[in-house]
Amino acid sequence: MADKMQICNISENNFEQCTKCSICTTVCPVAAVTTDYPGPKQAGPDGERYRLKDPAYYDKMLKLCLNCKRCEVACPSGVHIADIIQNARMKAGEGKRASLRDTMLANTDLLGTMANKVAPLANATLGLAPTKLVMHSVMAIDKHRTFPAYSRTKFETWFKRHAQSSQDAYPKHVSYFHGCYVNYNFPKLGQDLVKLMNAMGYGVHLLDKEQCCGVALIANGLYKQAKRQGRVNAASIRQAVNTDHRTVLTTSSSCTFNLRDEYPAILGIDTRDVRDNIMLATRFIYRLIDEEKVKLVFKKDYQRRIAYHTACHMQRMGWQLYSIELLRMIPGLDLQELEQECCGISGTYGFKKENYERSQAIGSVLFKHIADAQVEAVATDCETCKWQIEMSTGLPVENPISILADALDEEATRQANGL
Amino acid sequence: MRMDTVIMGGGLSALTCGIALAKRGQRVAIVASGQSTLLFNGGSMELLGCVDGKAVTSPLEAIAALPAEHPYSKLGADRISELASEAHSLLTDAGIQMEGNAAANHWRITPIGVAKPAWLTLNSHFSIDSLGQLPCKRLALMCIRGFFDQPNGMLAEGLKGLGFEVDKLEFTTDEITALRRSPSEMRANSLAKRLVSNASLQRVADEINRLAADADMVLFPSVLADEDVIQTLKSMVKKPLRLVATLPPAVSGNRMQALLRHYFRMLGGNYLMGDTVVSGTLEGDRLTSVTTAKLGDMPLRADNFVLATGSFVSKGLVADYERVYEPILDLDVDADADREQWTRFGVLEPQAYSRYGVKTDAGLHCLKQGKPIQNLRAIGSVLSGHDAIKMGDGTGVSLLTALAAAQSILATK
Repeated sequence: MADKMQICNISENNFEQCTKCSICTTVCPVAAVTTDYPGPKQAGPDGERYRLKDPAYYDKMLKLCLNCKRCEVACPSGVHIADIIQNARMKAGEGKRASLRDTMLANTDLLGTMANKVAPLANATLGLAPTKLVMHSVMAIDKHRTFPAYSRTKFETWFKRHAQSSQDAYPKHVSYFHGCYVNYNFPKLGQDLVKLMNAMGYGVHLLDKEQCCGVALIANGLYKQAKRQGRVNAASIRQAVNTDHRTVLTTSSSCTFNLRDEYPAILGIDTRDVRDNIMLATRFIYRLIDEEKVKLVFKKDYQRRIAYHTACHMQRMGWQLYSIELLRMIPGLDLQELEQECCGISGTYGFKKENYERSQAIGSVLFKHIADAQVEAVATDCETCKWQIEMSTGLPVENPISILADALDEEATRQANGL
Repeated sequence: MRMDTVIMGGGLSALTCGIALAKRGQRVAIVASGQSTLLFNGGSMELLGCVDGKAVTSPLEAIAALPAEHPYSKLGADRISELASEAHSLLTDAGIQMEGNAAANHWRITPIGVAKPAWLTLNSHFSIDSLGQLPCKRLALMCIRGFFDQPNGMLAEGLKGLGFEVDKLEFTTDEITALRRSPSEMRANSLAKRLVSNASLQRVADEINRLAADADMVLFPSVLADEDVIQTLKSMVKKPLRLVATLPPAVSGNRMQALLRHYFRMLGGNYLMGDTVVSGTLEGDRLTSVTTAKLGDMPLRADNFVLATGSFVSKGLVADYERVYEPILDLDVDADADREQWTRFGVLEPQAYSRYGVKTDAGLHCLKQGKPIQNLRAIGSVLSGHDAIKMGDGTGVSLLTALAAAQSILATK
C-alpha cells in the first residue's frame, strides 16, 4: 500500500484519463467506413487495459488506423489515443516482416533518387495502364491510384546550382527542411519558399544532411530505419539551430509534425531542445508580419476563389490559422475554410491495393464538400492530401507558400523590406 | 495574433457567444480543447425544469423567484424572455429547428423513459405539450436489433406510465446487421453514417410500415444524421414518425454542434479545435493575452475575453484532493473549502458540486481575489449558482449568458 496518495495522472499517454465517452469513435474516419476497425476507443485506451494484462490481446486490425490523430483532437480528456495505438503496433512487432512493397513505398529517398534519374521515363510509364496493372498484381499498389510525377532535377541540385550562392548576402537567415516531396516531386514549392523568404530579406540554407523525415517508415513499421534517419535529421537540425542560429522552416505539415512530435512520442528521439525552432514557414512568416518586422505586397490583379483544406496532421498541430491568415492577406483571394475532414490517403496507406477503396470512401465526405464549395482550386499544407484531392476531385491543389509566392509583387515586397 | 474577442472553450455557450459577436463584425477566435458536452445533448434545451424537486410549468414566473446567485438573477428576470427569444432565433439561423415556448414548458422523453420539462425540442423529436392531454394513444417503438444504446424496456415502461399504449417492435436491415460485426461500435453515430442512402432508408421504412400498421405514431431512435435524411424517412413511412433520444454520444447533439460551428465559421469566426488555453496575462484589472498549448509562444491578444470552459467533465473546473479550482487563471471559485461537503451519499441526491463554478459579479465579470477583471466574462456551465441536473437549467444558462455577455461586449467601446 502506497504511503502517499497519487495526486497526478502518470499513465502513459494519459490512458487512465479515458472516461469511455466514445467521442473519439464518432470522429474516426476509418470506423466510419468499415466494421473491421474496432474504433479508436477500443483500439486505444480500452484495448490497452487488456494488452497490459496479456499482450495476446493485440488486435491485428490496429493496422487499419490511419494515424490521422482526429481522435486526439476530439478527446475531451486529453488522452493521446493515436499514440497509444501506434505504440501498441510497434510493441506487437509490426514491420518485422515488412513486405517489399511497403519497404519500397516507405523509402521515399530511395524511390525518389532512382526516379529522378529516369524522371521522364518514370512519369510516362507510371501513367500507363499496363504498368499500373503490373504494380497492382505484383506489388499490390492499387491500379486506380495516380502516381505523383517525379521531377527531373532534385530541389537540392537546383538550389546548389542556382540559389545557394546568393543567400549569404541577405541580412537574416533561415534553414529549410525541404522534405521528399519538394526534393523529388515538386521543387517549385521549394523555389517558391526561397523567393518568398528572399523578398522579405531572409537567406535560405539547406541543412547539413537531410534525410526523409520517416513518417512513411513509421507508418509501415520500419521503426529501426526511421530511428536511424531521425537521428541524422535531429543532429542536422541541432546544428542549424544551436550553431548556425537559424530557425528550421518546413513546407509540409506531416514532416513538421513528425519532426516535432512523433520523433519523441514514437521513436524516442528527444527533440525537445530544438522543437520550438522547427516550424512551418507560414507560422514563421505570420509572426514576422504580426510583429510588423516584414511586409508582403501582393499583385492587385491576383483574383482567385479557393478553399482551404486543413490536413489532419495540421489540425493536430493546431497551426492552420497561420496559413489561413496569410492567405487572407491577399486582396483578390476569395477564401473559404473547409470543415476539417480526412482526405483518406494517409500517405502510403492509400497507395496499397487493400486500402484503396477504404481510402476513397473515407475521403468522399471531403470531396463532396469541395464540390459543393465551387472553387477553382484548393489550398493545403500536406502533399499527400494534395495528390488525393487532385486525383479525386480533378481540381488543382497548391501549398499556401506557392499561392503566396505566385500572388507576390516581388519587386514591391523587396522594396518594402528595404532590399 | 490579435482578435476582438477570444473565447476560451468551444461548446454551446462559446459558440452562441461567438456567433452573436461575429454577426456584428467582430473578429473572434474560439479555443476548444476537444469536443464539448453538447455532443451528449438529446435534442432539447432547458430554461428551468425543476425547483425544490417540483417540476416547473412556467419558467419565466419561476425564474423571477430564484435566489440572487443564480445566473438568471444576475442577468435580470425581466431580460429572460427577450434573451430566450434571441437564442431561439440564433438556433434557427444556424439551421437547428426547434419548437417551444419560454413561458410554458413542454415535456421531453429521456432515453430511459422519464418525462422531463423542456423549453425547446427539435422539431423531429417526440415531445408532449401537456401530460394530461396526450398527443395520441398507441405508439410503435421501433427497436433496432443489437442496438443497446436505446434501453427499450425502460423506455416502453416509462411511456406506458404516462398513459400510452406501446408496442416494442424489433427490426433489422442489411446495413444494420452488417454493423453488428463490430458490437462495441454499434452506436447511434455509427448507425447514422450508414443510414443515408435512399435505398438504406427504404429498407428501414419497409420494416416500419410492415410492423407498425396499428400505431397512431412511430417512435424511432435518434440515429438519423440530418434533417434531409429524417425527412426522407418520414416521407417513406405511412404513419407519423418522431425521434427519441438515445444514450450518448447523441446524433442530435453531434448535429447541433456541427451546425453551430459551421455557422460560426461562415460568419468569419476562427474555431481552433483541439487546442487548450494554458495561461493568461493579467495587467491590472484587465486580461491582455492568453497562451495556448499549440500556438505556443505566439499568444492570442484581444480587447475582450470570455471564459466558457465548462464544468468538471470539460475541465473548466478541476477538483483535486484539496480544492476545487479554475485551472487557467485560478479565478475565484464558489465551492466548499471542506471536501466532505462536496458530495452527499446517493448519486441521485442533489450534489453540492453541481452548483460550483467561478464567481462573477452582476455583469458576469470573473473575480480574482475579490476584484473583477473588467474584460473577462464567464458564461455557461463554468458559472456557479445553477444546477443543470437537479434544476434543469444547463442549456438555458449556456444560451442566455452567452448572449448577455455578447451584448455587454458589443456595448463597450
